[in-house]
Amino acid sequence: MAEYSVVGKPVERTDGRIKATGAAKYAADLIAPGMLYGKLLRSPLAHAKILNIDTRKAKALKGVKAIVTGKDFPGIPYGTRPDTRDQLPMPVTKVHHFGEGVVAVAAVDEDRAEEALDLIKVDYEELPVILTAEDAMAPGAPLVNELSKSNIAYFSDFLFGDIEKGFKEADYIREETFSSQRVTVGFIEPHACLAEVDPTGRVLLQGSKQSPYITWRHMCRALDIPVSKMRIVNPFVGGGFSGKHDPFDIDFATVKLAQMTGRPVKTVLNYDEVLAAYRQRNAMNAKLKMGLKKNGQITALRTECVLEGGPIAGIGPFNIYYFGAFQNVPYKIPAIEYHGKLTYSNRAPCGTVRGQEIVLAQYCLDSMLSIVAEDLGVDQVDIRYMNAVTSNWHAANGLIIDVSGLPECIEKCGKRIGWKESRTSRPKGRGIGYSCASHPSGVRLGGHFGSSVMLKLLEDGNVVVTHGGTEIGQGSNTIFCQMTAEVLGIPFESVIQGVSDSDTTIFDSGMFGDRCTYWNGNATIAAAKDLKRQLAEIAGAELKVNPEELEFKNSMIFHKERADVKMDFLTAVRRAYYEKGSPLYGRGYWAATDIDIVDWKTGRGNLAHGLDFIATGVMVDVDRETGRVTLIKGISADDAGQPIHPVMLDGQVNGGSAHMTGHALLEDCLYDEKGRVLNHTWRDYKQPTALDTPEYIVEHVHTHDPYGPFGAKGAGEASSCSSLAAIANGIYDAVGVRIKDLPITPEKILAALKKKEGK
Amino acid sequence: MFIRRLPKFEHHAPASVAGALGLLKKYGNKARVFAGGTDLLLAMKKRALTPEHLINVKNIKALKGISYNDKKGLKIGALVTCAELEESPLIKEKAPALWDAVCVMASPQVRTLATIGGNLCSAVPSADTAPPLIAMGAQAVLSGPKGERTVLVEKLFKGPAESKVARNEILTHIQIPKQPERSCAAYLKLMRRAAMDLALVGVAAYVCLDKDNRTCKEVRIALGAVAPTPIRAPMAEQTLAGNEITEALAEQAGKVAGTVCSPITDLRASLGYRCDMVEVLTKRAVIEACSRVKNSTKR
Repeated sequence: MAEYSVVGKPVERTDGRIKATGAAKYAADLIAPGMLYGKLLRSPLAHAKILNIDTRKAKALKGVKAIVTGKDFPGIPYGTRPDTRDQLPMPVTKVHHFGEGVVAVAAVDEDRAEEALDLIKVDYEELPVILTAEDAMAPGAPLVNELSKSNIAYFSDFLFGDIEKGFKEADYIREETFSSQRVTVGFIEPHACLAEVDPTGRVLLQGSKQSPYITWRHMCRALDIPVSKMRIVNPFVGGGFSGKHDPFDIDFATVKLAQMTGRPVKTVLNYDEVLAAYRQRNAMNAKLKMGLKKNGQITALRTECVLEGGPIAGIGPFNIYYFGAFQNVPYKIPAIEYHGKLTYSNRAPCGTVRGQEIVLAQYCLDSMLSIVAEDLGVDQVDIRYMNAVTSNWHAANGLIIDVSGLPECIEKCGKRIGWKESRTSRPKGRGIGYSCASHPSGVRLGGHFGSSVMLKLLEDGNVVVTHGGTEIGQGSNTIFCQMTAEVLGIPFESVIQGVSDSDTTIFDSGMFGDRCTYWNGNATIAAAKDLKRQLAEIAGAELKVNPEELEFKNSMIFHKERADVKMDFLTAVRRAYYEKGSPLYGRGYWAATDIDIVDWKTGRGNLAHGLDFIATGVMVDVDRETGRVTLIKGISADDAGQPIHPVMLDGQVNGGSAHMTGHALLEDCLYDEKGRVLNHTWRDYKQPTALDTPEYIVEHVHTHDPYGPFGAKGAGEASSCSSLAAIANGIYDAVGVRIKDLPITPEKILAALKKKEGK
Repeated sequence: MFIRRLPKFEHHAPASVAGALGLLKKYGNKARVFAGGTDLLLAMKKRALTPEHLINVKNIKALKGISYNDKKGLKIGALVTCAELEESPLIKEKAPALWDAVCVMASPQVRTLATIGGNLCSAVPSADTAPPLIAMGAQAVLSGPKGERTVLVEKLFKGPAESKVARNEILTHIQIPKQPERSCAAYLKLMRRAAMDLALVGVAAYVCLDKDNRTCKEVRIALGAVAPTPIRAPMAEQTLAGNEITEALAEQAGKVAGTVCSPITDLRASLGYRCDMVEVLTKRAVIEACSRVKNSTKR
C-alpha cells in the first residue's frame, strides 16, 4: 500500500473553525446595499385552478416595490431531463400542492412584505386531489400536471438474465410487499437566496444550493437568458442531502423581483415552509418475488416498484432507474426482472434523500433476504456472505464490480456486533438486525456529467483550489486540498480553498450519487499533475535533468535517483513568476469514459466505477409493553477504498446511519384527505435527536479502487442504504414481528404483537 | 398556515407584582403575561394569540427563587426556569418527580427560558410539570386585586390551554407541602423520540408507605396528555390504598387508570394506544415510586 503524507490523515477541516464558531456566512446572513425582502404567498389548497389574482391593494401599500406571479415568467418549462420538462417557475393556471408559492412580494422590510401578502386575494376553484399512486393511476383520474398527458411521470422495465430459468432453478420462492412513507430531506438550513442584477442585466444569485450547475442551467432556461447572463456564487451551505439541487419558486421569484426593481432582493424561508412545500422522498409501494436454492443462494428476483412523487417528475426518473439498476448489487443475482413506475400526485414535490432510492431498494431486498433466510433455516450472516458480490464480478445488468470488500465487511461486522454469541443467548426483547448495501461512486447519467478543477499557484508557493463541487458539509473542500497537497508534495496548510463561483469554477454535474470524492478527486489529481508538470519543466531545465524523473515531496523537487539534485518548491515557483513572468495554473477534468452512459430503456450497461460496500448490524431493544424501540449499538463495516480523511469518513458512515433512523422509526409527512400538510413543524415532524441514535462503531475494510483517486471510493450514502433493513430486521429478531410498512411505529409493533399472541 | 413574524404589541416590564397587576387591570383582555415566552411567542407567530400588550414579569424579583422550609416545604417562584429546577439539588432531593419532568422537557436551550409558571398557566393537557405537582399535592399561589389566593394545582386547569388563573391575576409561586416520611413520587413520560418531544402520555405516582414499608398508606396518581386537562385517577388510587403494593396490584391500578382517561386520537398517537400506555406507565410509575421509598429508607 502506498505511503501518503496528507491523504489518509485526519487533517483539520478547512471549514471547521469558521462553522463551529458561527462565523460562516450562509445565504440568510448576506446583506447587499439597498436590499429588499421577499416573501411568498402560498396556496392553501393542494389542487385548484387559479381563477384570478388581485394584487392591487398590495401594490398600493407603502414600501412594497414589486409583485410577481407565474405570468411574469416566459412560460418555458424546465425539468431534469429533456423528456420530462414539466415545471414552470411559478404556477400560472393551477396550483399543484399545498404550500406552492403563488405570488411573491418584495418590500422594504419583512413586516411590510408580510402585510402585503395579507392584501393579496387569490380566487381558486378546487379540483379533485390525487394523494397516492393508486389515486393517480385510477381510471379517469384527473391529471395532476398540465404539461403532461398522463399521471404516470416515468416508467422503467428492465430484464437482466434469464428470469424463467432463475425461478425454475429455485427450490424456494417467496413474494412480499413493502411500503415506505414520505419523508423530508432533513438539512438544517432552510432555503434562502439573495439575487442582484447589475446594470447590464446580468444576474448574480447567491443561494443555499447543493448543485449550483443544475440550478444555473434550469433557471437560465426558464428565465430565457443565456447562461452567461447569470452568475452563481455559493455561500456556505447548511446541508443538502439531495434537497437543494434544482431551483425553486423562491429562487425564481427572488431573481424576478430583483430584475423588476433593479435592487437586491433576499428571501429566506421558515422551516415550516420547507417541511410543507419542498423536496421529500418518494412514497413507495414495492413487491418482490425472490427465488433461492435450499442453501440460500439467490437464483432470481422479480421486483415491482411504484413511486409517488408529487406534481413534478424532478429527478424521479433517476429514482425509478436506480431502484431497478441497484437490485444487481450487493448480492449476486443472476436474473432480475424489474417494473418501475413514477406517478404524479398533489403532495409536495419529491427529489430524493441521501442514498437516493437505493435506500428503498435495499430496504426491500435485505428485508426479503432476512425473511427467506429464516424460512430456509440459513444463518442471517451466512446468507449474506454466500450471496455477496466479490471482486471482478459481472452483474446481470452489465455492471462490473472491480473491487469488493463486501465479504470481509460482512465478517467484520458480524464479529464486532457479536452475532454468533447472540444466537445462543441474549436479553429478552433484544435483537440484532443485519443488512448490506452498495452504492456507486457516481453513475454517468448523461454526456455532460463531468468534473473540473482549477488550481492557481500563487507566488508565495501556496495553491488555491477551485472545483465545481459544493461543500455541503461532506468535507469536499478539505479533501481536494489534501489531494492537491499530496500530489504537489507540499503541506496541507499550503492549499487554500477558493470560492465556488460560476465565473471561475468550472461546471460540475452536481453533488449526488457519492460522486464528489471520486470524480472531482480525479479531476483534482489531474489538475495537480498539470501544475506539477509545468514546475518540473522549470526545475528540470535548471537542474539539467529529465523533468519526468523529478519527484515532489516535503516542499522539494528532487531527482528520483540522485537526491542531491534538487530545488526548493518555492524556488521553482519564483522562477516562473519572477524570471519568466509566467503565472501558473493547473487544469484538470474527469469524466469516466470507460463506463457506459446510462441506457434508460434497457437499464443495461457498466454504469459506474467504484462500487462502495457496507455491512451494517444494529442491536435493538424493543419494549413489549410500549412498543418503543431503542437502538443500542450500530456497527458498520465499510469498504470505501482508500480513506482520504478517516475521521470525516467515519462521520459520513455514521451520518447516513443516523439520518435513516428517522425514516425507519419516526418520520412521516402527513396529509389530510384534501392534501393539506398536517405536521410541518419540528414539533410534529419527528426527526431523530442524538439521543435516538445508538453508539456507532465503524470498521473500515481498506481496499484500493483501480479508478478512484488514490484508490478511494464514494462513502456518504452506502450506510443510509443499509440502515432501514438493519433496523427492521433487528426489531423482528427482538420480538418476532415484521413491520413491512415504514415507519415502524410503537403502535404498529404493539398491534402486530397482539395479533401474534392472538389477542 | 405558516409561522409569521411577531405581530405588533406594546411591551411593559413592571418591577413588582403590584405593578403587573395594575397593568393587567388597565389592559384587561388585551394583555397577556409574558415570562419565558416559549409558548406565547410561538402562539403569536402563528396568530393563535394576538395580545396588544405583553406584561413582561421577568423583572419581578418576588417571582424568582427556590427555597425550602421544614414546615411549609418547597417554595418555587413562578419565574423559576426548567433549567434552574433541573440544576437544583433541592428539587432533586425534595421533589424528584418534578425533577424527572423537567429533565425530559423540550431541549436544554428551551429549558433555560421556559418557566414553571408558564408551563402551568399555558395549561396544555401535556404540561409536564402538572402531573408531578398534582401527585405531590402542590398548591399554586395567585395574586390578584383582592390579594392572594391558593389553589391546588390539581384544580388549576379549566380546559385545553385554559387555566383558572383569572385575567387580572398572576401566579406568583408554587408550594409543595413537606413530603411525609416513607413517601416518594415519580414521573414517567412517553415520547415518540427520546428528547424534544411532547408527552404522548405522562404519569406521576406518589406513594406513602406504612411503617412495614409495603402497605400503601397514601397514594396519588396524576395523568397528563390523556384528557382535556391533567387529571387525577382516583379509582386507580383506590385500588392501591391500604393494600400491599405488588407488581400485580400496580398492574391492576394501571388497568383502572386506563379506563378513567379520555384521550383523543391525533397526529401523535391514537386513543387506544394512549389508553394502553396509561396502563403501562401507571404500573411503572407506581413501582418506581415504591422502589424510591424503599431505597431511601434503606440508606
